[in-house]
Amino acid sequence: MKQDKHGKNHKFGMVVDLDKCTGCGSCMVACMSENNVPFKEDESNKKDSLTWMRVYKITNGKSFPETEICYMPRPCMHCGGKGDHGHSPCVSVCPAVATDYDHSSGIVSQIYTRCFGCRYCMGACPYHARYFNWWDPKWPEGMESYLSPDVSPRMRGVVEKCSFCFHRYQEARDLAYVEERDDIEEQEYQTACTQACPAGAITFGDLNNPDHAVSQLVEPDAHNCGKPKNPKAFRLLERLQTNPKVYYVSEREWVRKAGDNYLDGEWEKVKNNHGKDHG
Amino acid sequence: MDSALIPEGAKRCPFPVFALGLAAVGVVVLWGVYAMGLCWFKGLNQTNMNDYYGFALWIWADLAVIAIGGGAFFTGLLRYVFGIDELKNIVNLTVVIGFICYSSALLILAIDIGQPLRGWFIFWHANVHSMLTEVAFCLSLYFSVLTIEFIPLILENRQVDKVPFFHNLGHNMHGVMAIFAATGAFLSCFHQGSLGGVAGVMYGRPFAYREGFLVWPWTFFLFTWSAAAYGPCFTLTVLKMFEKITKKKLVKDNVVHLLAKISGWMITTYIIAKIIDTIYWATVTAPSQGFKFMDFYSNNSFYGVWILVLEIAVCGIVPAVLLTKKSFRENPKLLLTAIILGTIGVCLNRWVMVLQIMAVPVMSFDTWALYIPSWQEVATTVLPVAYGVILIALAYRYLPVFPQERELNAD
Amino acid sequence: MKIDRRSFLGLGLGAAAGVAVSPATWKLMDDSSIWTQNWSWTPVPRDGEVTFDNTVCSLCPGNCGLSVRKIDGRPVKIEGRADYPVNTGGVCLHGVSGLQYLYDPSRIKTPLKRTGDTFEAISWDDALELVATKLAEIKDAGKADRIACVTNHGVGTIPGLFGRFVKALGSNNVYAMDTMDKTWEKTLEKMHGVHGTLGFDLENSDFVLSFGTGLIEGWGSPVSNFKANSSRKERGATLVQVEPRLSNTAANADTWIAAKPNTEADLALGMANVIISNNLYNTGYYVSGFGPGFDELTAMLKENYSPEAVAQTTGIKAAVIVDLAKRFVKAGAPVAIAGKGKGATPGSMREFAAVHLLNCLAGNINTKGGAWILSPQDYDQWPAVEMDDAASEAIEKPAMDPAGSVAGFFAKAGADKSVEALLISDANPCFALADAQAVTKAVQDIPFVVSFSSFMDETTQLADVVLPSHTFLERTEDLPSGAGMARRVTGLAKPVIDPVFNTKNPGDAILAIAKAMEGTVGDSFPWESYEECLEAVTGDLWSDLSDQGYAAVQETPPATRPSVDFTFVAQNPAPIAAEGTEADFALILVPLDNVRIAAGSIASSPFAVKTVADTVLLGKDVLVEMNPETAKANKLSQGDLAVIETPRGKATVKVNLFEGIMPGVVAMVKGLGHAMDENRYVNGKGVNINELMGPVMDADSGLDAVWGIRAKISKA
Repeated sequence: MKQDKHGKNHKFGMVVDLDKCTGCGSCMVACMSENNVPFKEDESNKKDSLTWMRVYKITNGKSFPETEICYMPRPCMHCGGKGDHGHSPCVSVCPAVATDYDHSSGIVSQIYTRCFGCRYCMGACPYHARYFNWWDPKWPEGMESYLSPDVSPRMRGVVEKCSFCFHRYQEARDLAYVEERDDIEEQEYQTACTQACPAGAITFGDLNNPDHAVSQLVEPDAHNCGKPKNPKAFRLLERLQTNPKVYYVSEREWVRKAGDNYLDGEWEKVKNNHGKDHG
Repeated sequence: MDSALIPEGAKRCPFPVFALGLAAVGVVVLWGVYAMGLCWFKGLNQTNMNDYYGFALWIWADLAVIAIGGGAFFTGLLRYVFGIDELKNIVNLTVVIGFICYSSALLILAIDIGQPLRGWFIFWHANVHSMLTEVAFCLSLYFSVLTIEFIPLILENRQVDKVPFFHNLGHNMHGVMAIFAATGAFLSCFHQGSLGGVAGVMYGRPFAYREGFLVWPWTFFLFTWSAAAYGPCFTLTVLKMFEKITKKKLVKDNVVHLLAKISGWMITTYIIAKIIDTIYWATVTAPSQGFKFMDFYSNNSFYGVWILVLEIAVCGIVPAVLLTKKSFRENPKLLLTAIILGTIGVCLNRWVMVLQIMAVPVMSFDTWALYIPSWQEVATTVLPVAYGVILIALAYRYLPVFPQERELNAD
Repeated sequence: MKIDRRSFLGLGLGAAAGVAVSPATWKLMDDSSIWTQNWSWTPVPRDGEVTFDNTVCSLCPGNCGLSVRKIDGRPVKIEGRADYPVNTGGVCLHGVSGLQYLYDPSRIKTPLKRTGDTFEAISWDDALELVATKLAEIKDAGKADRIACVTNHGVGTIPGLFGRFVKALGSNNVYAMDTMDKTWEKTLEKMHGVHGTLGFDLENSDFVLSFGTGLIEGWGSPVSNFKANSSRKERGATLVQVEPRLSNTAANADTWIAAKPNTEADLALGMANVIISNNLYNTGYYVSGFGPGFDELTAMLKENYSPEAVAQTTGIKAAVIVDLAKRFVKAGAPVAIAGKGKGATPGSMREFAAVHLLNCLAGNINTKGGAWILSPQDYDQWPAVEMDDAASEAIEKPAMDPAGSVAGFFAKAGADKSVEALLISDANPCFALADAQAVTKAVQDIPFVVSFSSFMDETTQLADVVLPSHTFLERTEDLPSGAGMARRVTGLAKPVIDPVFNTKNPGDAILAIAKAMEGTVGDSFPWESYEECLEAVTGDLWSDLSDQGYAAVQETPPATRPSVDFTFVAQNPAPIAAEGTEADFALILVPLDNVRIAAGSIASSPFAVKTVADTVLLGKDVLVEMNPETAKANKLSQGDLAVIETPRGKATVKVNLFEGIMPGVVAMVKGLGHAMDENRYVNGKGVNINELMGPVMDADSGLDAVWGIRAKISKA
């Protein structure tokens, strides 16, 4: 296990306040712009549209005027996997170690030049957070000028996904190193989506650091793979034991219920039973 | 004009007829090669796969040909390791079929990956935890074994055999074939299993996920078992097709019935295991993740529960009954029904484990994803079939594939 | 040497073994994989020194502060400026996409002159000379009053220069695109007798009652409103949304009141009746500020707007209306707001006045958390315009639309074909105004049209001369706040990069034309450059603008509270009816604003289009939203291709079922259906709803008050 020079591992995570999220899409575009994500003439087939951050629209299924909707931003969950040991669903299946779990940051990496495009990781990810480059990335003439050197554009035939803006972490660490600091500050490493969100719905930081806002918002239970102790917080598909590092918060019960699958009557039993295992 | 190459005493159709047939199938091959070229040069956007359907028609075809090619390792195992000597009369056919199936599988994989020129990273940067790594290693090694098993048959060609070196080589290879057959069986067990493991380890996909034994999910064992059980069905189906096309009897009934009987008992045991697995998964594994059994079979226009009925009852229990009961399997029509159903059954199982697992939504607000393959996918999937037809036709025409052919067709 | 079969085979095997063992194979494998990692057609962005430039966005009236990350002087990423008072770090998706506008290959790259049906590239000198000559001709012919200009926004020095230029020629025909601000201005004139606009202190209000405003669909200053909405959650403030459809704002609100379309005013008046009849209005303001008409109002409301009557009209239960009225007026700092969707269309004065009546009754005028009556922006101080005799004579003639409505102007222009020349700056009326076909026809009939635009939009396509503009990232411009913001902030956009193409700041272009015209016109523009002009006219504000990129003009509510004249509302003005009859068109089509789609003068960026849901745009088809019940009644199901028809036109669309929309109402998104050949990311995608809707002029305000139109829909 790789360790930070301070001897303490980070566990970067994200908290999305679904009651604040307005579904405006700023996070999606900030992400695409930050990470040189290409675009096509027609992006209306959402099953082949590269969106590292995708905002789902969910409804409570009731009819007019009882209908409610909620927007759910979905980056890569950077799953810790079963037991939170780093065996994320995708990392454990990649045959060529093109995606890996960094124990010092908790970030699931993707090495585009290593990936040979078998797409097994995509099948293994229940969140559809992974995207395949079905096409060569092409920018309209002249638009290559805005590409950022921090993230290399991907070639056709490889898988890509949200990296929690890992390059920003590297930059922050480099700066701390130059300034002879042991560690980075909370505000020094923020993802592009967090920064852009006009509603302030996204919070990012170190789940292992009790001083960081993310820890205070969801109270991750270190003895229970980071499961939130805050009863209003939840993780997507908690029951699959993927142990994501993206948390959601909502006052609305139907929204929290939509975060996972429940058999008839199960939700009633587990909804107030936070911090403990589902039966 | 090619009579010098045809096995002694065997009757073959006139060369022009044969050539015409080859040419017809050759056109299909060219179509497939064109589609393959498109996929390689333009990329996988030529397919209708998408981010929800990262695995699709090809991977199904891949798993299916490996499963039905399973007759090779299993018959080889029975013949060489368990010493069931009668099977020597059909083992050549199983080797040819196996060779075709496995070479096709490798070809499909080479088209299927997004970066074919980096395909070797799977060996070079291998992740030992990945089932796909296990597949790649076992598959390529077993393909080498099949090639070695195929060589002696080629060396038996009338003209090649005349060369003393090849004659001796062939003879010696026959002598050590048991070792290769055993190695093949071992490797095959693992890669058939690891192909099952590919789906079974995906714990983020409740429809695919299975608990298991050590690092191997139950699908690992079920895949090996089903390949061994159903592989011979396909071997026999191909044999029956041969006999129909050539209007000749090529293998004696006792051999056929023996293989059918073994297959029948294997299917019986497999299908019992499969039913237990399904019940356990439906009542324990899936509910623990919040899914009802019917969640996987409803709310969509394609994957109704009939697919499970078809796989387990119609293509599992029925052939099992037909093949285990002597009077049934010795009835030619029932035998044919059984082996065809068996072949369909294992292909259907692979379909479910490749396509349906991708289609089932996992997040509560996600929807079923359906997909229709593009013509390029169809063409590249038909390509190995056409190639197989050509190879098997060539083998039949020029190699003594069926040792009993002369005896059964003596005028 | 004779090669027999044996040696041939031997050689073959040997060769195979040789290839397998030789390093060439491995080297080739390695090389080929390295090649795939460095494909020449996959771009490799250059690295370099990182710098940040601040500027202000002008894609919408929100005017957010931006921080542009640059590598070696090359902008690569737009972020929100954290220390900017409007958006404090947040930024909307259109702002982030700014670089896609900057580098858009379909931008106009050089001045163009129309020759027949095509454009021909010309030099700036020729283009400016051409415009100056043509305008001088018109002026000399005594037709200066037939020259008009249409700008996108009405405030700031670039629109100021356009207005000044047209005035100097001798015309009053100066228009900015119609927005809710114009309706607010008219409403304030009627109700307070003041000239000004209304701002809403949403971040301090504890009860926001929104009559269809898309607070989080891009209304007013979007990011500022997103922030206020989030702070509402933290402050425990309440948002009630009145709307026939579950918009994002309605979904995010504490309460959604699904009133029938176009009954917002009725609901507000019903609430006013409850407040007055229960003596719940603000007594302090009653004493100090309630002016004429209060008794008439009281009587009128009592007669026409009892809770039961309003329940009948709006479809909202009487008890709910009474409760809402009481909760509103009893809140500490309530505020009621109007201006549907993004607030980019004017709306009916009856509705605005009824809503503002609630503010008046609650006494929250010019209070913290209330509605602020802001005097017109006047930081820009211009020297007097010089006019020769011809101009002085021409300026005596009134503007073609006395209400200042751009919709009215084009209606008149189309009707009497009297306009001789039209200057258009950053505006796209042929797309953005209702009855786009009629506006297009009107523009086609104008003999000389000059467009100052960065993009070949629908209006620019009709121009005779195109003077390409800098995008907001290449230009200097002062950008005063408005659009419902209570606080006043004026921002300064500064170029973050040298012009990518051969374009000019429209301010400089106007200066150059004026100079070329010489005489009093030239004399009215004594500045050498737009920047010099800006510095001169912004006066006191300039040092703040140039130092910190913005100047905060006003942070606190105005000190005085103007009195209220209730006469207009007491007259019980009639509602604005939707065009069409129920007999022919059973449904009501309402436009809806989607924050991810730019619906104004500028088309959406590729990034923005990419984020649009497949339930809004699928391939080239727009989806029309309807309740499953409506669909059933019209024999439609999800995804069906259908034809929607209104009295103004028809279009082929697809069907999207949504439980959150009132049965009988269908909704279609604004901002799609661009016809911009060169921009394949928007061209031909969807339908422009303005081709299905016509303007409905409000007699009270003189502005277009269209809110929807009757429609029918059937399977295609």
